[in-house]
This record gives sequence, structure tokens and C-alpha cells, in this order.
Amino acid sequence: MKSLFSAVALSVLLPLSALAADSAQVGKPAPAFTLKDEAGKEHSLAQYKGKIVVLEWTNPGCPFVQRHYTANTMQKTASGYDASKVVWLAVDSTASNAPDKSAAWKKEKGFAFPVLQDPSGKVGKEYGARTTPHMYVIDDKGVVRYAGAIDDDARGNKTGTPTNYVKGAVDALLSGKDVPTATSEPYGCSVKYKS
Amino acid sequence: MTRPRVRRTGGGGLFWLAGLGAWLTAASALAVPPPASAVASGGLDEGVPRMEATLLTDVTQVKPGDTFRVGVRFKMHPGWHIYWKNPGDSGLASDVAWDTPGTTVEALRWPMPATLRTPDGFITTYGYEGEVLLSAQARASEQAQGVLHLSAAADVLVCEVNCLPAQVVLSRALPVGPETLGDAEHAPAFDAAWAQVPVAPEQARYTAALALDGPSLATGGTFTGTVTLTGADGKVPAVEKDFFVPERVKGLRHLALTPVEGKPGTFKLEGKTALEVPAVEPRFLGVMRLGTAASGYQSLSLDLPLAPVVKAPSGAPGVPTPVAAPVPGGAGPADASGLSLGLVLVFAFLGGLLLNLMPCVFPVLALKAYGFTRTVGEERGRVGAHALAYTGGIIGSLLALALTVLGLRAAGHGVGWGFQFQEPLFVAAVAAVLVAFSLNLFGVFNVGTDGTALVEKVDASHGLGRSVGEGVLAVVLATPCSAPLLGTAVGFALTSGAATVLLTFVLMGLGLALPFCLLVLVPGLAQRLPRPGAWMERFKQLLGFALLGTTVWLVWVMGGLTGVDGMARTLAFLAVVALGAWLYGLVQGSTGPRKLVGVLTVVALVGAGALWSLRFEEAHAQAPRVSEAQAWSDEAVATALAAGQPVFIDFTADWCLTCKFNERTVLQSDDVRAAFARHRVAFLVADWTRRDARISAKLAEFGRAGVPMYLLVSPSAPNKPEVLNELLTQDGLIDAVRRASGRVADARPL
Repeated sequence: MKSLFSAVALSVLLPLSALAADSAQVGKPAPAFTLKDEAGKEHSLAQYKGKIVVLEWTNPGCPFVQRHYTANTMQKTASGYDASKVVWLAVDSTASNAPDKSAAWKKEKGFAFPVLQDPSGKVGKEYGARTTPHMYVIDDKGVVRYAGAIDDDARGNKTGTPTNYVKGAVDALLSGKDVPTATSEPYGCSVKYKS
Repeated sequence: MTRPRVRRTGGGGLFWLAGLGAWLTAASALAVPPPASAVASGGLDEGVPRMEATLLTDVTQVKPGDTFRVGVRFKMHPGWHIYWKNPGDSGLASDVAWDTPGTTVEALRWPMPATLRTPDGFITTYGYEGEVLLSAQARASEQAQGVLHLSAAADVLVCEVNCLPAQVVLSRALPVGPETLGDAEHAPAFDAAWAQVPVAPEQARYTAALALDGPSLATGGTFTGTVTLTGADGKVPAVEKDFFVPERVKGLRHLALTPVEGKPGTFKLEGKTALEVPAVEPRFLGVMRLGTAASGYQSLSLDLPLAPVVKAPSGAPGVPTPVAAPVPGGAGPADASGLSLGLVLVFAFLGGLLLNLMPCVFPVLALKAYGFTRTVGEERGRVGAHALAYTGGIIGSLLALALTVLGLRAAGHGVGWGFQFQEPLFVAAVAAVLVAFSLNLFGVFNVGTDGTALVEKVDASHGLGRSVGEGVLAVVLATPCSAPLLGTAVGFALTSGAATVLLTFVLMGLGLALPFCLLVLVPGLAQRLPRPGAWMERFKQLLGFALLGTTVWLVWVMGGLTGVDGMARTLAFLAVVALGAWLYGLVQGSTGPRKLVGVLTVVALVGAGALWSLRFEEAHAQAPRVSEAQAWSDEAVATALAAGQPVFIDFTADWCLTCKFNERTVLQSDDVRAAFARHRVAFLVADWTRRDARISAKLAEFGRAGVPMYLLVSPSAPNKPEVLNELLTQDGLIDAVRRASGRVADARPL
């Protein structure tokens, strides 16, 4: 028994890195990044300091993403805000993605926000993005305030209006309130990282 | 997305087979392919379906009221998978919804899932490849006639690299007949699937237990612990990689088990908590596969209590520190016990009030009664001044104590209520004051400015200084007694900002002073007291003996601190003090150089006596004085809990009179001891007579800063000790013990 306890006590002292890393943690500064979008324009997190930044991990080939774009969830949420206060950035960490694919998809779905190209998966893994869609809301000071799903309707069959967590978080930040739901379980396809 | 696939069955055999059903009395051994409506494929991948679902039953005919099994078999293309009820990092839980009029269907039984990882290991999911039967127990209603219509809507996500959602609706009719006939072709598939469904440990003759490192989980933090599995035969099979799959639990973000090397059945638990406090206390939920491919598998479903999740303070989450760093800017935040400052101040005031009734304050209370009968004869203004002086004495000394606490805290010492009694020199000083005081009451010498006063006088020393002194004395004697509520308030104060500490102590002082002030200041009360007279002189002397009694207790405390030698030294010092007091009494009436010489002699004598006698060494830790008790340690608690015993922990100290009172009147009473024996209670004593950082930390964990504290831990809720009232009663304690062990009786075996 005694040795068991010392073993447990030792294990407490083990570095916590042994646990799966959750990199973009709510309440902690968001990992910095600089990525080119589908048109070759660079975007860095630092340049948007002072604005609320929404990151949306995306993959046009994923049925969950398709469902939300068909239902205009992302487009409507993004265009509902003053662009001088809220920046919406889609990020595609799919290994097989290319800028022209993103451009074609943008045209097809008719949205204006950039699709950042992360085929190496570096930024995706820094953020710990696991699903498409996987959403992050970062406040004007660069601190992550929301991480998780876009809404509470994983199957797309909820009766009534689903709760849009991202909208809830951004609205709260704009009015200086606490984010009502700061984390949720993301759902969707796995991010197709380069392996 | 569905595309029913019509299966052509060979020949027209179905027609005459149906008629044959009535002739069959034994389980049918005839293979009947499922009807076309019971088969569908989904997950179309560029025209190729990647998943085929079939609705199956393990009977071909059912008798009304009988049970049977129904399920959906999913067949995936090689490389494709669907998900378990917790999909893991991504994906979507598979879902089967039933529509079965005339049949009740129970919860879905999920076979042990596989752990699937992306090649880079970044994303882990749980699910099924190849083939899986998600099934449930069903019962035909007693009124069933003709055929039962069974229909299932399956909603699954089929993934290889890309994911294809598939929703299929399957249906079939099940004939109702006089006998239930097994389906020889499909029953084995159900048997095989059910063999892989995890069962509760006790069904497999195991007991599972979870010991968490710590009493609670802080939000946004990590936690660790140990899960142990014990087999009825003392053996636990080895496990393979990916043997454990966690369920999704509200309030938790991560649960993982790793086997401890060389200890089959012992697993290290690591977990992470979510940022928000969940509505219900999270439990440890997950499935575990014991055994290896060579030995065969046995899956268990674990459901073990964890601990409540508490909001982590804004600092680092995790282990509570005995004393938090001072919070700048005065009032600190409420501590883990969720108290607001206002409530704490109310507690402090009430606690101070109750302190008057605690056993260790009794001598002071007696003194007060005496001092106050003395003041009754005086006019109101004087009385008010005395009340003020007494209150001032109390608050002044409490503030001194608070500042000491703050000073010690700033120096990095964890201190608690009554800590001053862990210092032998302090105890000796208090004892000396008491002896001197009692000699003063006996009339050996007088205190005060009036040197010409005669001893026969009722009391020459009714100066305000005396009232102040009484206030100080009240505090000095009261500190070791944590009255109910006071422990909480002081515990809170000691971990808060400086302003909070001071404010709490002031309110406590007001509470302590209130009864005396009321007695003195309310005119009606003053009239009811006996008139001053010759009896007062005797009463005064009697009180001197009360003080000597208190001294005896202090000497005994000293024994606990410093052993027999220390007691002897203390007594020697007290004798010197008494001699000094007597000498002072001799020279008191004289004037000029003779008095000066006398006073100097007394000071020198007492000083020398102190230097000569007060050299203490720590006594060796003694065995606890309560019978059948053993010393407290986390290991002892865990050992007892593992043996299924409730554990009672007595946090006590020799200088704590409340503790001693409880021990004598409750803990050592025959009824309580019999109850402890009956319920196999392990009695552990945490003795705080001398400083002990472990005990201080444990007290702080429960928001206390002093003893007594009584914890009762039930083996069925090892992480939720019950904190009992500081004033124990026999009945209350016996009830609590019964609860703690009774919960074991009706709880699942752990």
C-alpha cells in the first residue's frame, strides 16, 4: 500500500505534458500564427489585435462542413458582424488541400472570408483542432474565449433552433459580458492532417 | 442517402416455409434470410456503399410476454468504421432509434469498441471496423397478436479518411405464436456480440475501486488517482494496449488509465476537468477489456464515484495550500467553501458569542461574573467605562493575535487557530499569569495603583486596567477552543487578505465581549445580581481555585508538548512565580528604596527562574490516548477504506478543551464505542498538539484553521468525507456512523 501511494505521489510530479496536449485553451493566449489565404495574402493573428477573431477549421469535403454551408450557418454568422470589430478566418488543415480548391469552393458557396492554407497541419495541431468544423473565438487581447463546436446540433436533426455557441460567444464579448458557454465538444469529421 | 437493396432469395421457398412454422415446436434450425425491408446500405462513396445495415432478431417467432433480442448489424467495407457511443476526438456517435409498437426495447448494448488513431496519432476515436451488432433486449407485450412490427432508424457516420453520414430505416415483421422459436442462424451472432458487451465488475466477480489524489477536482485542471481491480480469486488478467475506453462525462475533458508495471489490476488514472462546474458531480465512466488475444477477453463497464468539481481559484488550480498568500487590497475572495465575506463576519460574531459557553472559557466567565458583581455598585458611567475597557482588552489582544498570524504567514509559516498553544513558552507564560492571578485573588498581593489598600477590602484593584487585563485573559484562554462556526470563520480569515483577517478578529472579539457588556450595561440585569458583601471575598478566593484548575490543564498540555521533564520544569517555574508574587505582596505596602529593592528582587527571581527552568525539548510522540485508536495518515485511511471500513478521524490537540470534552463525554462513551465496533469503524487520531504541517494542510482543505474537526469517511464515498459538528453528541455521532456504513450496505460493492 505504502509503495502504491508513493508511486501515485510520484506520478503527480510527472510533467503534465504526458497528457494529450490541448494547445488552444480557453482563458489562455491563443497560439500566434501567420498563414497565407487562398489568394496568397498573408494573415497573422497579431495584425488583428484589438478585434475579435473567429477561427473555423474547415474542409469542403466533409459532410458536416457541407451541411453547415448548405444551411448557411457559417456565412450567416460571419456576415452578421461589423467587420471592423470581428474577423472571421476559415483554416483548412487538410493535407490534400490546395489554394485553388479553396477558391473554387468560396465561389460555389459565395462567402467573403479568407480560407487560410495550412496543409502542413502545423497551425491546426498548435490549436489542437480535431474536427471540421472546430471553432475558436479569440478576444481583442488575443485570449481564447471559446473552443468547440459551432452549435449543439451534431446530427443536424434538432427540432427548433440550435444554439449557436460561436454567435453566443462573440455577442457576449462585444457587449462586455462573460461568454455563456466557453467550451463544448466539437463534432464532425476528423481533420485530415498530413501524416 | 439510403438505397434499399433487394436481395433475391433462392427459389420460392419462403411461401411454404411460412406455413411450416406452426409445425415446429423446437427451435427452428432453418435459415431464413432477412426480408428486403430489413436490409439497407448507406455511406455512398462515389456510388459505392461503404456500409450495409441489417435488422435482425434472435427468434423467428415470439410468444406474447416473452423476451427476445433485436439489433442492427452494421457491415463496413474494409478500412471503414462507424463510431461508439463516445466517438472520441472527432466523428459522431452511432445511434439506433426504435419504433416497435407492441414491443418494449431496452437500452442499446454496445460491444467493446476498438481504439482508432490517425497515422500521426493526433486524433483518437473509438468505434467499430468490419462488423458490429448493436442490439438490445426486447419484450413482446402480453397482448401481442398476429405479427409485431419492428422498425429501426440507424444514424451513423461511416469514415475511412473521409466521412459519409448514413441514415437508414429498417423494418421487419415478427410473427407472434404459441411458442418462442429461436433463430438458429442469427442467435449465435447475438451471443457473440453480447459476449463482447462490457459487464459490471461484480457480474464478472471483480470489485473495482477508485482512490483519487485529493478531495475535489478543480475546474480547468488535471487530476490523478488509482483504479484498482480485485478478482474474487485474487487474480486479474493482464491487459493489452488500448484496453480502456472512456465515456464522455460532463465536466471532464479527458480520462485515461495506464496499467502499473508489475501490479496486475492496478491502474494509474489521469484526467482533466472542463472549465465549467457541471450540474451533476462527474463519475468515472468507461469500459475496460481484460485479457489478451491469447487468453481471450472479458470486458468490464466501470462506473465509480470521483469527487465534486469546484471552481478553481483564479490562481493555479489544484492542490489547496494550507495558507494562501496574502491577497493584496484587503478582502480576499471567498474560499472554496463558497462563503461570502458578510457571512463569515456573521459567523465570526456568533462564534465569539458562543465562545463564552465553551469549556475553556469558563474560568474567565466566572471571573467576569465576579468582576461584574464588583462593578454593580458603581455608577453607570464607570460601568460603561469598564465594559469598554474589557471589550478593548479583548479586541486589542485579538488584533495582536491577528497581526502575529499575518506576520507568521508573511514569513511563510502555516498557522492555525490555537497555534500559540503549540509553543511551550507561551503555555508557560499563560500558566504563570494564571498562578499569579489566582494568588492575587487569594489576597497574597494586590494589583493596582493603590498601594495602601488593605487585603481585607473587598477589592482594592478595580481600576480600568483590570478590566482590560480580564479581556486579554479571556482571549488567551479562549483561543484553543474553536467554537462551532468559529473554525469556519477563522479558517476563512486566515486564508484571506489582511483586512479580512483583522475585521474577522474584531467581530469575534465583539461577540466574545457582548454577554459581559450586556450584563453590565442593561440596568434591569444589574438589579438582579446579589448585593456585594462579605461573601464576595470568599467567592473571589473560590475563583482563584478555578484558575488553578485551569493551570493544571495547562501543565498537562505542557506534558504533551515537552514530556514529563517539561511538566516538572513548568511546575518549578510556577513555584518561582508564586514565590515572587508572595515577595511582592510583602513589599507592596512599603515605600521608597525598600519597595524598589523588593520589586527588583522579584523581577530578578522570576527572570532567573524562567531562564533556569524553561528549557524544553520536544517529547517523543506518544500513542494516542483514545483506546482502539491509531495515528492518522492518508495511508491508514486508504487501508481502512479498502477493507470496506468507515473511517472516523479525530483532529485533536491536548490544549483544546472542546476536543477533550468531546473525547471524554462522547468518543469514549460505551454506546459510541459499541457503535464503532459494530460498524467496524477505523478510529484515527490526528494529534495537532505539536505543529504538524500535514494536519494543518488537512484542516485547511476543509476550510478550518483549528481543532476540533471530525471527519467521517464512508467506503462508498471515499472522496466525500462528512464533516461532523464540532460539538459532538452521542446520538448524532452514532447516526452518522450508521449512515456511513449503511451507505455501504445499499451501495453497489465497490
